[in-house]
Amino acid sequence: MDDLLAEFIAETREMLEASGGEIVAWEADPADRARLDAIFRFVHTVKGNCGFFDFPRLAALSHAAEDALADCRAGRREPDQALVSAVLAVIDRIALMIDAIEAGEGLPEGDDAALIALLDVSRETWFEEGSDASEPAVNPAQEPREEAPEPGNADQPAPLRRSDPAAQRTIRLPVELLDRVMSGVSDMVLARNDLAHRLRQAGNQPTIDGPFERLTAILSDVRDAITRMRMQRIETLFGVLPRLVRDLSAELGKQVMVDLDGGDVELDREMIETIRDPLTHLIRNAIDHGIEAPAARLAEGKREIGLLTIAARQSGNTIAIQISDDGRGLDEDRIAAKAIATGLITPAERSAMSREKLVNLIFEPGFSTAETVSSVSGRGVGLDVVRQNLERVGGTIRVASQPGEGTQFTLQLPLTLSIIAGLTVDVGPQRFAIPQAYVEEIVQATHQALDFTRMGEAALVTFRGNRIPCLMLAEVLGLEDAASDARELTLVLLRLASGDLFALAVDRIHSHGDLVVKPLAPAVMKCGLYAGSTLLDDGQPVLLLDVANIAASHALVTDGRARVLQPSMPETAVEADAPRAMLFTDFTGRRSAVRLELVQRIETAPTSAIDTSGQRPRVVIDGTILPLVGLPETPVTRDKLRLLRLADGVCEVLYAVREVEDAVALTGALVAVPEDPLIEAMTLVGGEPVVLIDAHALFAAHGTPAPSATIARPRCTLPDSDWARTILAPLVTSAGYDILPEGSAAEPGAVAIMSEDMFEVAETLGRVPEGPVIRLRDHPEETPGSATIYRYDREALLAALSALRHARAAGDNRP
Amino acid sequence: MTELLVVLQIAGRRCAVSAHDVKSVIELGTVTPVPRTPDFIAGIAALRSQSLTVIDCRRALGFESSQWPTDERAAVIANGGHSYALVVDRVEDITTATGAPGQVPGGFGPAWSRVATGMTETRTGPVLLLDLAMLIAGPEGARGEIETVA
Repeated sequence: MDDLLAEFIAETREMLEASGGEIVAWEADPADRARLDAIFRFVHTVKGNCGFFDFPRLAALSHAAEDALADCRAGRREPDQALVSAVLAVIDRIALMIDAIEAGEGLPEGDDAALIALLDVSRETWFEEGSDASEPAVNPAQEPREEAPEPGNADQPAPLRRSDPAAQRTIRLPVELLDRVMSGVSDMVLARNDLAHRLRQAGNQPTIDGPFERLTAILSDVRDAITRMRMQRIETLFGVLPRLVRDLSAELGKQVMVDLDGGDVELDREMIETIRDPLTHLIRNAIDHGIEAPAARLAEGKREIGLLTIAARQSGNTIAIQISDDGRGLDEDRIAAKAIATGLITPAERSAMSREKLVNLIFEPGFSTAETVSSVSGRGVGLDVVRQNLERVGGTIRVASQPGEGTQFTLQLPLTLSIIAGLTVDVGPQRFAIPQAYVEEIVQATHQALDFTRMGEAALVTFRGNRIPCLMLAEVLGLEDAASDARELTLVLLRLASGDLFALAVDRIHSHGDLVVKPLAPAVMKCGLYAGSTLLDDGQPVLLLDVANIAASHALVTDGRARVLQPSMPETAVEADAPRAMLFTDFTGRRSAVRLELVQRIETAPTSAIDTSGQRPRVVIDGTILPLVGLPETPVTRDKLRLLRLADGVCEVLYAVREVEDAVALTGALVAVPEDPLIEAMTLVGGEPVVLIDAHALFAAHGTPAPSATIARPRCTLPDSDWARTILAPLVTSAGYDILPEGSAAEPGAVAIMSEDMFEVAETLGRVPEGPVIRLRDHPEETPGSATIYRYDREALLAALSALRHARAAGDNRP
Repeated sequence: MTELLVVLQIAGRRCAVSAHDVKSVIELGTVTPVPRTPDFIAGIAALRSQSLTVIDCRRALGFESSQWPTDERAAVIANGGHSYALVVDRVEDITTATGAPGQVPGGFGPAWSRVATGMTETRTGPVLLLDLAMLIAGPEGARGEIETVA
């Protein structure tokens, strides 16, 4: 019996939550037959279930509501404001009673007669009096009814849940049980890892390895499924919002319509709980401060009813929730005045700030523009708390607003709290984890290359021409700083949600992977450095760094102040000093350098990705075929090659090197070497000669535009013949030309390839193409006095095309 | 009064916590230190897939832990949804209280009063009853310390 009761309570609860939204929607459009049906089903179910138990008051209430709604369904009564309010009141009372029943208390004191009277089932008099008069008014309610799958018949209530034939079969489980299963699976994974470790030690054992592989696969399946068990539709959060909006707007004398979208987006259960309060807060704000009173809206030429849109979208492993209203928008001047008054920014800074930056000041601690504290919002809890709550779970919030048009808050949330991609790093003897979402790049280089400087207690590095603040993780954590004198720095560049970049110096990068994050005890959380803990495969606990908080506590998060300061940073001071170059040893053993601006990155490619069958070697990097230079003449014996990826902005060329040394500043004099066209100059680095590769010659000889290149390829027109189309065209294309369709207007600069005969005809007609012309002859023998190329002389043809192309490229490069 | 108590020795004093609160007594393995936390937090440790916050009870009461021997074993408790392992001098015994909890005239002294809820008699002598929530909150001074760090 107890089980039955628990089931009843749970079911009623669920329906209560779901119907909250339905009722408000129904109120907005009383003619909406589907809503009416849904609410009717709810009270009907409650009434029916009450029959099993001894809850006469519950039964009476639901019965009365059912009767009233049945009248509406039958068209005997038109749902009006009073009825909706009364039904709402009844549903509230039912919720109260359910609470009391669950708690095992007696039903709340009070008489339901008044409520039932409000429903006024005994309105026959009204009905009889007004039946004729109200007939036309009932009509709108009848129209949609025709669309309803089942024309209402009050005596035969619609079968339950008929609108949901494909509903998934579900069971209700206590959350605690789920958590136990989850932790059990985690234990299993750890045990598996331990076993894997032992198996590796014991060497290959085919009889065991097979089943073990299977176990591994099953486990990872189970883990996925368990993770999904934790997911919940955001609907559960959205369900209560219409009611909240309705009550708030009624309280504030405003009219607000709420539009919900994306309720089927799934989110971690815990995450839904975490955003419940922030979301409520933002909605309160929007209704209280954003949406104007009806009279004011009419005066502005807007609809009397304000629109509040709440939409959830999933993209990748983040969820975006947008809350927009069409109210008055944020008052830029008032925000500025307040920010200046509270010392957040100075008047000078204010004038330099864009509206977007300014409105985002509302998330700063201690900021609240409400002049009067109303009962709805502005209870001393500001938007800073909202932001804090979201950041705690790795989320962000932004606001955009147009004066007079409305305000949009955008929340970005990670999909799940419990499993995140993370990077593990070592500092001294200890290991820490960093959420991958923050990691922009990992850099390993010498102090000199990064221009590491100490400024008082702070440190700066120069990366891609920008000075970036650098935190030593060992110092942040107060650990013994043993590695700071090492020649190499390992930096993790972290990009904060605010867009700020900073570097975190660690001793070593350990690995990366999915981390199952567990919460930390409050005493540990208090120090503000950690967001949680996680267990590595070997069962060792590792702390997850709270990157946002660490940055904030070191004042690395720009608010209004710092952003204005930024441009005055000496960003390019170092750049101007000396050209910087990447130093390497090529396969002939020659120490070489290439200007650093050209180096995109250092690639490592397997030898199998290199194709030397063509005239020029190519290499496949990330699915793109790129030209490769610098290969040794003898076949490569290594498995992998280090390649410098060079780019001139349009073309990319890979340069095979034996060893990458360092990035250096070319402080020595550059001595020109005219005898070698591939060398720009020679210089001294550390007292030893180094040749500087002539990038111009390199790209001129080997650069092929990247597929995405925006620069126009040279064009070429071909003779109108099958031979040209099938045999000549591919050759010309491979030489880097675009073929112009036949008959298209001759383009200036386009290379024309024509047969000798055609050229002669054109010449006599005086219609020689403007651009360069390559003339082809049909016979190998040269005709004296005319510059023609035999049509199967591939070398000469390619040379001619290439020469024209380089002439053109050189022309383009010259300003 | 037959409530089961786990008797622990902390900083040389016999204390007791309700056996209901103690989930298990474990051999404490490697403890990962947590930098920048008050020193009564010895670190975190793993118990199967769970993570435990290891509390040095001597330090939580404001004593130097080096003065006292340390038991390999730690009592695992749960509080506020988190699990803690209590490092003590010794996990002594499980016993039953033979009398009702009472107070000592004059109190237990400043360090102990904060965490003690009273004393009770057991078969093996009187013990001090501890409030776990207060114990794991650490010494009063720790609060100010944390704020300056953060």
